Amino acid sequence: MIDTQLLISGVIFGLSIGSIFFLMAIGLSLCFGLMRIISLDQLLYYSVGAYITYTISVYSGNMWLGALGGLIVAGILSFAVERFIFLRIYERDIAFTMITSFGILIGGVGVIKAIWGLVPRPVPMPIMTQMSIMGTEIPVYRLIVVVIAALVYAGIWLFLNRTITGKAIRAGIENVEHVEGLGINVYRLFTITFIIAGTLSGLSGGLHAPLIMVDPQMGLEVMPFIFMVVIIGGLGSIKGTLISALIVGQVVSIGSLIYAPLAQMAPFAIMLLILLVKPTGLYGSKLLKR
Amino acid sequence: MLNIFRWWWGIGLAFILLVIIRVFLPLPFSNEIIIFSIYVMGCSFLLGRVGFISFGQPAYLATGAYATAFYLFYFGTNPYIGILIGIAAGIVMSLLVGPLFVRLRSDYFALVNLALAVIIFYMMQKVLAPITQGDNGLWFLTNMKSTPILDITKPKEFYIFAFLVGLAVWALYKYLDDTLYGACCLASKINEDKVDFLGYSNFKIRLLAFVIANTTTALAGSMYAIYLGFVSPEMTSAHRAADPVVVTILGGVGTLYGPLVGSVAYTGMKDLISNLIGNWELFIGFLLVFIMLAGEKGIWGSLEPRLKKVFSGKRA
Repeated sequence: MIDTQLLISGVIFGLSIGSIFFLMAIGLSLCFGLMRIISLDQLLYYSVGAYITYTISVYSGNMWLGALGGLIVAGILSFAVERFIFLRIYERDIAFTMITSFGILIGGVGVIKAIWGLVPRPVPMPIMTQMSIMGTEIPVYRLIVVVIAALVYAGIWLFLNRTITGKAIRAGIENVEHVEGLGINVYRLFTITFIIAGTLSGLSGGLHAPLIMVDPQMGLEVMPFIFMVVIIGGLGSIKGTLISALIVGQVVSIGSLIYAPLAQMAPFAIMLLILLVKPTGLYGSKLLKR
Repeated sequence: MLNIFRWWWGIGLAFILLVIIRVFLPLPFSNEIIIFSIYVMGCSFLLGRVGFISFGQPAYLATGAYATAFYLFYFGTNPYIGILIGIAAGIVMSLLVGPLFVRLRSDYFALVNLALAVIIFYMMQKVLAPITQGDNGLWFLTNMKSTPILDITKPKEFYIFAFLVGLAVWALYKYLDDTLYGACCLASKINEDKVDFLGYSNFKIRLLAFVIANTTTALAGSMYAIYLGFVSPEMTSAHRAADPVVVTILGGVGTLYGPLVGSVAYTGMKDLISNLIGNWELFIGFLLVFIMLAGEKGIWGSLEPRLKKVFSGKRA
């Protein structure tokens, strides 16, 4: 059996990885819920966030400043992409938005390669201190990532439940035509949602950067996990995304402790099992297409 | 008689054009076009006829390619048997995952398929590395013995073989379009409730379509394996996941000759542009966005009505 120390650090590792998955998957999930698009380009904002974090932390020496910059740049980029591309194709079939966003992703990775080159770049960990939990040394940075994800979840919850815009977005997830009938400009809601999604993806990239090497393919590497999170949780549900992100994070981390290749295979097996029981994921909506 | 003639007319013309391409352009290009268009055909059928967008075609491509490669690397020497094994593997694979996948909504279907492609990539690269030799790939070009009549270990004769296989695949899909089953597929794409109401099973229609399309893809995979003489996990990587979908859209969704036209255009552009600039990904990404914004009909989709006008005008 695994000894306790390894298990504790495994659980913390899983929590932090799960938090990063959650921050990314929430974008995909929200975009699907409201706009009925599958926005694969969230993975691009993730990479951009990470690269901006790298660049700023190299010049200023402060990774937090970098993460903030990455978040802002990812938000602006997502705004531009939404304005110039997605606004024209919201009405189209879901397949078309998926292909378009895949095109943006691939093209964006090409731009990243052209700007930053192919070499993986390291981002220094901002907080090197370790904390002792039940005799196990835990890097504080990972705990901070978990706290940030929890804050973001609380923020999103408050935004969706306490503000009028958030309520409109929630109503839009239920039925967009009724919202439009009330005289609310749904395209503005779409833009807001898309920017939130892009910003959170950028944030997750910035937070993930010190834990891994930043390289052009990082978006594509993390893609299967994000997909599994979104599929297990159910497209369009924030609660489901949170729960499945935690599940996948733990499975990846504990699985790799038991047998290394399990880290990639086990989430997939779980996804297949859940789809077998519930084809729409844990909390997925039954809506097909508005 | 006239009917038979008219039935074969389109396919015949398309393949005569291919022969002309073969005469004027180098051999590897022609081989690539034919294999690639068979690969795309499966995806085009799924997207255009059944309404499933599959981002996971590389998974089935790799299934066929690796099945062939395993046979030729470890057991036998006959490339024809290798291709048969590749096809069998494609059928088995799609029967294994098909019942699970075709129940899903088309958005989940796309995501799950892409996840499958990535998982197969990991399996071939890392988990099964002792058998598949990881990133180095399996090289078996010298393992293949030459065969009588049509020696497909030689590129020139491989072209004839690929040509015949392509012809057969197109005839099969044209036949499918004409049958009741083809009509059922289209119906289940357009309105699945009505299909249920008419007494057909959506599940069975889709499962059969899934198996047919992915077996075609696996066939393309094993032909790649034999033509190149090696396989590597590279062919299932996520970058190439969009290739068949791109070409399907480029050629025109749901048209019979779309994949052929798309393959010629795509492979040609790839060759030309990768000579000019090294950053192929950048180009393909923006090409994709541009095509999606410009229109959803694709090259063949917008060409076909005009051609028909011209030809019918002449006859009248």
